[in-house]
Amino acid sequence: MRERELIALLVIAGGFLLITPVLSVNRVTDFMIFCIFAMSFDLLYGYMGRLSFGHLLFLGTGAYCSGLFLKYISRNPMLAIIVGILVAGLLGMLIGLIIVRTTGACFALINLAFNHIGFFLVLSPLRRITNGEDGFGIHALPFGFLNFSSRTTMYWFVLICLVLVFYLLKRVTSSPFGILIRSIKEDETRVKFLGYNTFFYKWVTFVLAGSVAGLAGTLTALNYNYVNPNVMDVHGNVGAVFACLIGGAGSLYGAVVGGVSYMVISNYLPIYIQRWEMFLGFALLMIIFRFQKGIWGYLQSVWEYVERKKTVMKAIGVGAVKR
Amino acid sequence: MIHTIVYGFTIGAILYFIAIGLSLTFGMMRVINFAHTLTYTLGVYMLVSLGALFKGYFVIAAMIAVVVVIPISYLIERCIIRRLYGESLDHTFIATFAIALIGVDTIKWIWGVLPYPLSDPIGEYLTIGGLTLPIYRIVIVMIAILLFIGLEFFFRKSIVGKIVVAALEDRDGVGCLGIDVDHYFSIVFMMGSALAALGGVLYAPISSVHPYMGLSILLLCFAVVIVGGMGNLRGTFVSALALGMIMAVTARYWSQGAETMVFIVMAIVLIFRPIDI
Repeated sequence: MRERELIALLVIAGGFLLITPVLSVNRVTDFMIFCIFAMSFDLLYGYMGRLSFGHLLFLGTGAYCSGLFLKYISRNPMLAIIVGILVAGLLGMLIGLIIVRTTGACFALINLAFNHIGFFLVLSPLRRITNGEDGFGIHALPFGFLNFSSRTTMYWFVLICLVLVFYLLKRVTSSPFGILIRSIKEDETRVKFLGYNTFFYKWVTFVLAGSVAGLAGTLTALNYNYVNPNVMDVHGNVGAVFACLIGGAGSLYGAVVGGVSYMVISNYLPIYIQRWEMFLGFALLMIIFRFQKGIWGYLQSVWEYVERKKTVMKAIGVGAVKR
Repeated sequence: MIHTIVYGFTIGAILYFIAIGLSLTFGMMRVINFAHTLTYTLGVYMLVSLGALFKGYFVIAAMIAVVVVIPISYLIERCIIRRLYGESLDHTFIATFAIALIGVDTIKWIWGVLPYPLSDPIGEYLTIGGLTLPIYRIVIVMIAILLFIGLEFFFRKSIVGKIVVAALEDRDGVGCLGIDVDHYFSIVFMMGSALAALGGVLYAPISSVHPYMGLSILLLCFAVVIVGGMGNLRGTFVSALALGMIMAVTARYWSQGAETMVFIVMAIVLIFRPIDI
């Protein structure tokens, strides 16, 4: 098991390193940050079965808190990252108490409502410190040998963060806790009957997803050296949903594959096709009607088919020898 | 203050027009219909084009705009939403959102992204005891009240309405009586879409017209439906007027906070009365 995990991490890191020369360092850094966000969304949607339409709230919180910290308090980037994650986690703890009581459409909509409130807060009442629509620039001092204004350093740092987050979430989702979350997705009432306090487990998952999204937010802020309300624009949530679906919900690999695919589509398609939103809409419909398992799910079923065929062949072969 | 109350009733009336379709689709078929934004926006853009065609005849242009939306909503229901019955709620949510994306992009294609100006078609003011009120807003409130009474009669007296109410209560039970519920759902869907278009057509002259206008109002309407109770028609009416009033009163003192206030109310309602879906 340990070896397989290590191989998986190496494959993911290697995959990103491989696509770097084809695309560019800046783009791949963006892609990786989005993949971190997609994984945190997948934890909620794919594993716990709760579709959220306001997950960008946590990304925005992380970005704004680390940005404001860098601007007003200290220019230490590491502390800013920690502050961003902590505040996003705290926010998740607070509103999670309300949100995780609901399921289905209510969950999606109440998340959307909170996202809207957050967007409005940074846009208007907190205008004096967040500078409203215009956003504000930030400047982080180097931390030890990590100079965050250099593109390459940022790239390596984000890659390490991605691998660490992947490892963490992989461990969480394959632990007994992860199995419990997945059973909540299948049938929450039965899990309750088994004596588990499902509210607590859902809350912990929600907070974890929020903190990881907060990390993605702090990385966004450090990457662009700039924060504006667009980071938590309500309409941006479609991206995460789409990434999860195209890659295959309920699998971290799927989230990474989907995140990269979505970023490639949204970055390169508008250059060739002007009506890319329409394309996105048709692609979503296709996924819903035909490929509900997504790219990763499709690859997995092909893999299983090959494996089964192999065992069948082996069984036949063994039988022939016996005869 | 009277102004604020009239404005509140106007916004409430518009919210009622749009929320009624959402509430019916949800109550009957458990489909959260994001495509509602599309019918709403489409009605408005039809009005923009037809208004240029029938100069000065706002009522005719508005009526044709509403009628044009009906076959389009039938197509949406027939081709996409009908396949989603019984699917999980998330999938219907995403699929209808995809329809909205496609539709909004089509609108951008045909009409462009720039906002269109539309002016108040009546443009006269009523003066009662020193108060001047735009007649247009009073007309909107009147139409909403008439519509409410009309819908009450429709759902109480007509056979279609009775079947719909029964299906809201227990869909399988109605199906067991040999009634094709999907057929009636399609009627209800078209009715809801036409009402959304009507709301858009009436609201457009007092707001701005742009391709994404549907999204923000749809969020407000979701709030209305949740506060009023999904599939509860009278509840929708009351909550639409109440939330419209809250918006108007908030806007009077703190203009940017109006929409957010609605979401805060929705959150409070959800805390005390969560809906199990």
